[in-house]
Amino acid sequence: MALFQRPHAPRRSLPSGHLFIACLLLIALVLSACASSTSGGSSSSGPIRIGFSITETGPQSAPAKFDLQGYQLGVEAINAQGGLLGRKVQLVYYDDQGSASTAVQLYQRLITTDKVDLLVGPYQTDLTSAIAPLVTRYKMAMPAMAANLEPFSGRYPYLVQSITQTPRYMIPVIDLAATKGYKTLALLIQDTAFPRELAQGIKQEAASRGIRVVFEATYPADTNDFTALVLKAGAAKPDMIIGATYLADAEGIIRAARASNVNAKLFAFSIGPVEPEFGSALGDAANGILGTTLWFPTIKTSGNAEFVQKFRARFGRDPDYHAAMAYATMQALAAAVKMAGSLDQTKIRDAYLKLDLQTVAGEFKLNSLGQQLGYQSYVLQWQNGKQELVWPSEVATSPVQLPHPNW
Amino acid sequence: MLQLQTYLLLLLTGIMWGGVYLLMAFGLNLIYGVMKVVNLAHGDFIVVAGLLAVTLYGAFQAGPVLAIPLATLLFLLVGLAVYRGLLAHVDTTGSQGELRTLLITFGLSSIISNIALLIWGGQYQSVPFFQSAVRLGPLFLPESLIVSSLVAFVLAFAVQFWLTRTRWGRLVRATAQSELGAASCGLNTGRIRLLTFALGAAMAGAAGALTVVLIPVQAASGGFVTVQAFTLIALGGLGNYLGALLAAILLGVIEVSSSYFLGASAASAMIYLIFILVLIVRPQGLLGHRGRI
Repeated sequence: MALFQRPHAPRRSLPSGHLFIACLLLIALVLSACASSTSGGSSSSGPIRIGFSITETGPQSAPAKFDLQGYQLGVEAINAQGGLLGRKVQLVYYDDQGSASTAVQLYQRLITTDKVDLLVGPYQTDLTSAIAPLVTRYKMAMPAMAANLEPFSGRYPYLVQSITQTPRYMIPVIDLAATKGYKTLALLIQDTAFPRELAQGIKQEAASRGIRVVFEATYPADTNDFTALVLKAGAAKPDMIIGATYLADAEGIIRAARASNVNAKLFAFSIGPVEPEFGSALGDAANGILGTTLWFPTIKTSGNAEFVQKFRARFGRDPDYHAAMAYATMQALAAAVKMAGSLDQTKIRDAYLKLDLQTVAGEFKLNSLGQQLGYQSYVLQWQNGKQELVWPSEVATSPVQLPHPNW
Repeated sequence: MLQLQTYLLLLLTGIMWGGVYLLMAFGLNLIYGVMKVVNLAHGDFIVVAGLLAVTLYGAFQAGPVLAIPLATLLFLLVGLAVYRGLLAHVDTTGSQGELRTLLITFGLSSIISNIALLIWGGQYQSVPFFQSAVRLGPLFLPESLIVSSLVAFVLAFAVQFWLTRTRWGRLVRATAQSELGAASCGLNTGRIRLLTFALGAAMAGAAGALTVVLIPVQAASGGFVTVQAFTLIALGGLGNYLGALLAAILLGVIEVSSSYFLGASAASAMIYLIFILVLIVRPQGLLGHRGRI
């Protein structure tokens, strides 16, 4: 107000022309400050901006693109329902190429330069762990699709987990095995972070169900020959051979087992069978193998059928579990912001911790550390060259075929 | 008795894996032997040939029988093009020359793997061929290993025969032993280098189209394949044919047996431990200059 009263103030020695120009300059300054603050975020009238980095290029880009499309569809759904806090929602994202150091720079830029209102996580646990200290320093609430529990161990209170936690990945496989009366287990573990944490979960669940681990071995990620490993596992005569694996090693283990005639009643792998390439690489040998998935198009989670149909219409391909988890992350974000009633990051973080929300990926529910307790996993099996959901039985698309016949 | 069977199985499996590694190191060895060029794009040639085999399988259900000749031919042409377009234009003599070829082939590797990434994506790919077991008395041997190692050993002897018994082979050896001497005798060494590079690339193509039945490949895994192949030929004595054969069998047997007795994590350490030992005790490689091309 003072600004506009000035011309009426008692005149000193300053000529009126000069004063007028000074006023114009001042107004221009204020206006330009307003304009730059809209483009730089933290405005209360423009769209709410959600920032993240994603691996659009590089070897890890295939699953990350599903994440991106899941986020995009999620935001479109939020806007279709009128946005958040009465404002539209908009994504701001950059390509991190799968590099942790690039991701750190990009989140720094999102927070300090772009001044985004909300954050969601990148693809991969490694990248999440790398940006966790930064996000925590700026006290930005961030749901992340990082399955390992390490980033959610209390050191980074503003991170919350929006994917099934690693130790729970293979619990339903053990559950299935227990109902079949299988008693012994050989465990093959790739020596990297995710499979190691996964194996801990398998062993814990097996112990509680009275299943004995009769053989356990780790192997490096670059292993080509699985003959020796499989022979030793087979020598222990286990009912089950279970691998805490990714794709290439799961294939290697199956090839070696078949070629060395090592048999078990059940073969199951964490990552591997869930990928379509598992079937094309192994052909007939894939049939009967069990795998884990965190989501399936046929499960009866809230709004799932509609999500699958919308995803197909929007992107021209079927969603996978990454896409579903990312979409569900946006559902959780919308619910948390609505519960918080503002963009106050601490309030939003607290809202995430209090949420009990039915999403396309299942029930979103956290413990006080932000670890995901609600999301679960499912068992699929390759049958006649196709993936079928076989466990838990109430969601199965086909009855499970066990025991695995001899090769 | 059962123990004995297991040991025999491990030994045979090891020798056969040696054959696979030899197959993957073949082209690199030939090119280094003749041209003193370490082709850092070698692994990427192998990977792309493998991915090509995957595509052929996806489109026509075609197996290695079709994929191998096609990949061999394609990479023969790629080899010709790379030599004509890149390597022929740089001075490769002296220590500066080696550095230049390293840089050029490193750049090439980067370009090839990124193009492969655009075409095939980042997922590991493989094809379902030669997956059954072959029964040899009480032993079960993997069909894929038998086929790959047979091809490798046959190819090894064929190249050996070509190098020692044919006119072209002798010209190649003459160029390898002394380029200046060969040139002053009136040989067109430029053409011989071109032929060598194209042959080496074709060998990588054949290896890739075959080993993809055994080792899943991904667009970005070429660098690792190059390192593995380079370790092998360095162990055998760079450019040394018999040495590479010996090193390959040694590596295969050590990998498989130490993986059985000491665990898989120890196995990869063992290989590099032996590599370091050889570099200290016999820096010229197991066979050194004897038996060089």
